[in-house]
Amino acid sequence: MPLAQPLPSSNPLRQAVGTYLRLAGIETGYGFFAPNVPGEYKLVFELHFRDGHVEHELPRVNSSAGELRVAGLLDQLGRTEYEPLRMLIIKMLVHAVWREHPEATLIRAVFGQARLPTATEFEKGKRESYEFMYAYDFTLKGGQPEPLNP
Amino acid sequence: MRALKERLLAFLFPAETDGWLALLRIGLGLQLVCYALSLGIDWNYLFAGTGQGLISRDLAEALLSLQSSFVPRLGWFVRLAAHFGVGEGKILFATWIVLLVAGCGLIAGFFSRSSAAVAWLVHLCAAMSGGFVTYGADNFMTIGLFYLMLSPLPDRYTLDRQWRKRPAAHPIDPQWLGFWRRVLQLHLCLIYFFGGLTKALGTGWWNGDNIWRALIRPPFNLIPPEALVTWKYLFPLLGISAWLIEICYPLFIWNNRTRKMWLICTIAMHIGIGAAMGMYLFSLVMIVLNVAAFGPGIAFARNIQPMPAAGCPSADSTAAELI
Repeated sequence: MPLAQPLPSSNPLRQAVGTYLRLAGIETGYGFFAPNVPGEYKLVFELHFRDGHVEHELPRVNSSAGELRVAGLLDQLGRTEYEPLRMLIIKMLVHAVWREHPEATLIRAVFGQARLPTATEFEKGKRESYEFMYAYDFTLKGGQPEPLNP
Repeated sequence: MRALKERLLAFLFPAETDGWLALLRIGLGLQLVCYALSLGIDWNYLFAGTGQGLISRDLAEALLSLQSSFVPRLGWFVRLAAHFGVGEGKILFATWIVLLVAGCGLIAGFFSRSSAAVAWLVHLCAAMSGGFVTYGADNFMTIGLFYLMLSPLPDRYTLDRQWRKRPAAHPIDPQWLGFWRRVLQLHLCLIYFFGGLTKALGTGWWNGDNIWRALIRPPFNLIPPEALVTWKYLFPLLGISAWLIEICYPLFIWNNRTRKMWLICTIAMHIGIGAAMGMYLFSLVMIVLNVAAFGPGIAFARNIQPMPAAGCPSADSTAAELI
């Protein structure tokens, strides 16, 4: 548990400790890829258009350094158990896609986790498979994506 | 009790030269330049506010405020600039330019301390505001830049020293140099020990499964799995080596006889991570921190003085530290 965490968030000691830990970069855990490497998370946007056709999109950036960060974002999303925060993050990602495709009438965000095969399974022909975790439908209202199934 | 206190002080404040500080400054400067250049095309998209980028900077900053309202963030600059009619896009681009310039300043040793302070502040703002899109490399950059900013810059290899001809009456206190190097060394030991410990708790690091998973998992899958699988019998060895190098780091990096070998192993591990997984920034910052903390005194030394006491690190600071 982080230092001073049991104190109320407005407590000056907690604020001071929290500030120092952040300034010095100490607050983060150092167990990267520990105790085990998680499966890959994937977020796919299903874009529905007025004429009935459907397109698929992924969260996109322009650089490989950016891709690493998006992968980190999806990992965080996969670990987020607080549902309202998870939906808020997805809503923002949906908004980014919508700006690229303003003619879409509905966007379904489908979040899943890859089941990676072991090396032995891979040799036997098994490949990664995706396990559905959750999906949200959004429509555009007043310039903002709004969930259909909150 | 007094002897213990004296030993503790001798351990925390060994006399040092500024070779390690030069390595840290130049290495972090290079890191900062690579960081800025690698993210240049996505910078505004990653750090824009609500409705402008990939994910809202405002959300990350709101969550940050729950922990502390005083942690610097890009939103402060954006709001300040808005008072003068400067738009968000321009101020974000300006922060990117500042990072790049600060990185170049660190490499050259031009306005070293100011460059270090600015680099730390702006990078911290980006790391905090981009909370959802940060990863290990950012944390270690914050740590490195924090210690660099507090260390007694400028070192003797900076342009500041060459041009300003700092008077000999104000030399850098060698014990102050030693203290900050010691803090960095201890911090690295903590990082590696706990990193190794948590890895050792996962069965996948014993049977090599985690090595395989890490290497086939997008976006780290630079090597085709078809080629990788032919090396599968090596994975348990690599997995055990990874956590063993980390968990034993505090033990072997202090020992005069094993330090060089352990440093080489650690650097090789990070080169492997960078080359096989494409985590170049992460690898570079770890190598920089390791080389600065434990390199001078072994890597370029002609002559190493023996340790003052068994199990206790030497000051690593001989006159022949750097060729």
